[in-house]
Amino acid sequence: MRLTRRHFLKLTGAGAALGTLPLDVVPARAQAGPVKIGVLAAKAGVTAPVGESGLRGTQWAVDRLNAGGGIAGRKVELVVEEESNPKDTVERFRKLVLQQKVDVVTGVVSTGVGLAIGPAAEEEKKLLLMWDGTTQRGVEETIPKPRYAFRSVDNEAEAVMASIIAARLFKGKIKTVAGINNDYSYGRDNWAAFLAIMKKFGMDVTPVADLWPKLGETNFTSHVAALQQAKPDLIFCSFWSGDAPILLKQAHAAGLTQSTKLVMTTAGGVHEQLKKAFSPEGMVLGYNSFYFEDPKASALSKEFTRWHQEKFKEWPNYESDHGYFTVVAYKAAVEKAARAAGGKWPTVEQVAEALAGIEVESLSGRRGYRADHIMEATYFQGVSTHKNKHDFVTLESVESMSTKQIQKPSGMGLYDWINSWKV
Amino acid sequence: MLGGVFHAAALFLVAAGLQLVFGVQKILNLACGSFYALGAYAGVSAVKTALGLGMPPPLFVVVLVGAGVALAVLGPPIERLLRTIYDRDEAFQLLLTFALVLMLEDVIRFVWGAAPYQLGDVYLVYGQIRLGRVAVPVYNLVVIGAGLAIALAMGALLTRTRFGRIVRATAENRAMAEALAVNMSRIYTRVFTLGLVLGTVGGALVIPAGAAINEMGIELIVEAFAVVVIGGLGSMRGAFVGALIVGVLKAVTIAVYPEAEMLAIYVIVIGVLLLRPAGLFARAAA
Repeated sequence: MRLTRRHFLKLTGAGAALGTLPLDVVPARAQAGPVKIGVLAAKAGVTAPVGESGLRGTQWAVDRLNAGGGIAGRKVELVVEEESNPKDTVERFRKLVLQQKVDVVTGVVSTGVGLAIGPAAEEEKKLLLMWDGTTQRGVEETIPKPRYAFRSVDNEAEAVMASIIAARLFKGKIKTVAGINNDYSYGRDNWAAFLAIMKKFGMDVTPVADLWPKLGETNFTSHVAALQQAKPDLIFCSFWSGDAPILLKQAHAAGLTQSTKLVMTTAGGVHEQLKKAFSPEGMVLGYNSFYFEDPKASALSKEFTRWHQEKFKEWPNYESDHGYFTVVAYKAAVEKAARAAGGKWPTVEQVAEALAGIEVESLSGRRGYRADHIMEATYFQGVSTHKNKHDFVTLESVESMSTKQIQKPSGMGLYDWINSWKV
Repeated sequence: MLGGVFHAAALFLVAAGLQLVFGVQKILNLACGSFYALGAYAGVSAVKTALGLGMPPPLFVVVLVGAGVALAVLGPPIERLLRTIYDRDEAFQLLLTFALVLMLEDVIRFVWGAAPYQLGDVYLVYGQIRLGRVAVPVYNLVVIGAGLAIALAMGALLTRTRFGRIVRATAENRAMAEALAVNMSRIYTRVFTLGLVLGTVGGALVIPAGAAINEMGIELIVEAFAVVVIGGLGSMRGAFVGALIVGVLKAVTIAVYPEAEMLAIYVIVIGVLLLRPAGLFARAAA
């Protein structure tokens, strides 16, 4: 049959009509197969190690779930796509949702991607449990009252914790401070929070330099020279990737780490690269939500750490915990919602409702989601030491703080919250 | 200041490779940034292997340069590929060399993975010296010295040797050089390989101070273009002065007003484009 224009229009019309049918009308068939978890994990560039780490925690969680009967009796399957720039990642998110028909999407490290993908999740009415990629600015506008998107801990929680520790350790010992942070919202939020907290604690410090290398910069010789000139008593830095050891190395070579106090809020994310040869003792060092040598670690955490070391010859970092958490939180929410629905497979909305306020056992202890869809977790920081069996620095004594202490409460502005502290 | 000169040394090597290839082959090679990244990765691998075999750490510079030079084997095949577009429109050249950038990026990801790749602490084996009030890592001075030495060697090669004379003749007038029985295909292969090695050695030399990441080539190529625009396309002296201007300007703005780091460079670029569109050291013929 020759395809006429009229035929063609009819066909495409029918196709379009099919395409607009809501997906919920065919739930029976979808439920027969495995539960599909879509993962957006960074695989290239500075975020690659973090993406890889999140994926390892996710995989470990899924393997355990499947060994134990899956989610409400259904096997779990992972569909992994790459997180890259915001535009392409939104495309891949839609591919996961529309083509792969996944039940939930996890992942995302970058703030920019998080901002773009949150609204897409709301639009597609698909659950999105982000590992990271959180910021303050922009979130209120793009995802004002999220129904399907669940966000990570606020950007500046680590800076808040590190600043509290720094204030306690260095009160009266420092007069000038300098910041070197990446030139985007994460870096800017952290530096601003640090200064606000210094003020709140009456530290009476003067900022003598604030440097903003762009994310992905690997040559800090000029920045180090600028810091040498500014001669601060303390340097505050929120690098979280391969740039952290590079900065320490170049700073050490220029003699800066010996004379200056250091606060590295998040460098524990690349802890194995913080070699003793150039990473000083006595710096405040943050590990986000997972510390591989936590003396109070649970059996689950120790089991994961052992598995990770045996399989990858590396000690795990925090993103594995975020990855693990999103999977088990989803499982707990589905099963809770299914019980409430009388054993039937719950709708996306029912799972979302169950997720808000949920608490589960993760690699870093018990953690959950607040009612406003923001993660709760425990953060680990401390002072660095060389006294260990490794060739990199670890913590002399581990401090842990809950995000209930170091994250602003729902609906409250950061500075109002800091100002409301009683110190 | 010295931080800026350190950066300028690497920038000069890449820009010099770009200039050389453009001067002779009239190809604007976007992939020269990828050669830089390739040199960095190969340098890390080579030094790690050598240290594993028991090499005394202070010798690592030799291994780095060796790794950069060894990548010369890639020159002839890549040049052979580019030969198909010598007489085509510039748009094709940009497309093909950009394709090379993407392919080399994937080659790097395939061979070395996506995570940053770095050399523990060999950067520190030479220690530091005090210049005035500030301490400077000796290795930074080694790289600056190497950059200068290579610049001088390039100058000597181009002006004092028979090969250099032929290269310059080809750059000036290809048809005439060919008429005088210069084997064009051999010259092209050699020049391209030399350009590639400048990039790979540059990448290998800076790596002890930093870490190899896949985007480093793209990062640098943008700055290398600023260098070339300031210095004048096809001019060696232009690459040298341009790299110094960009490197030092970057360091000074970071120290004085960090917000303007990139802005300052492009203000100079725009200024040069408006006042001396051909660049500071443009040749009369160009």
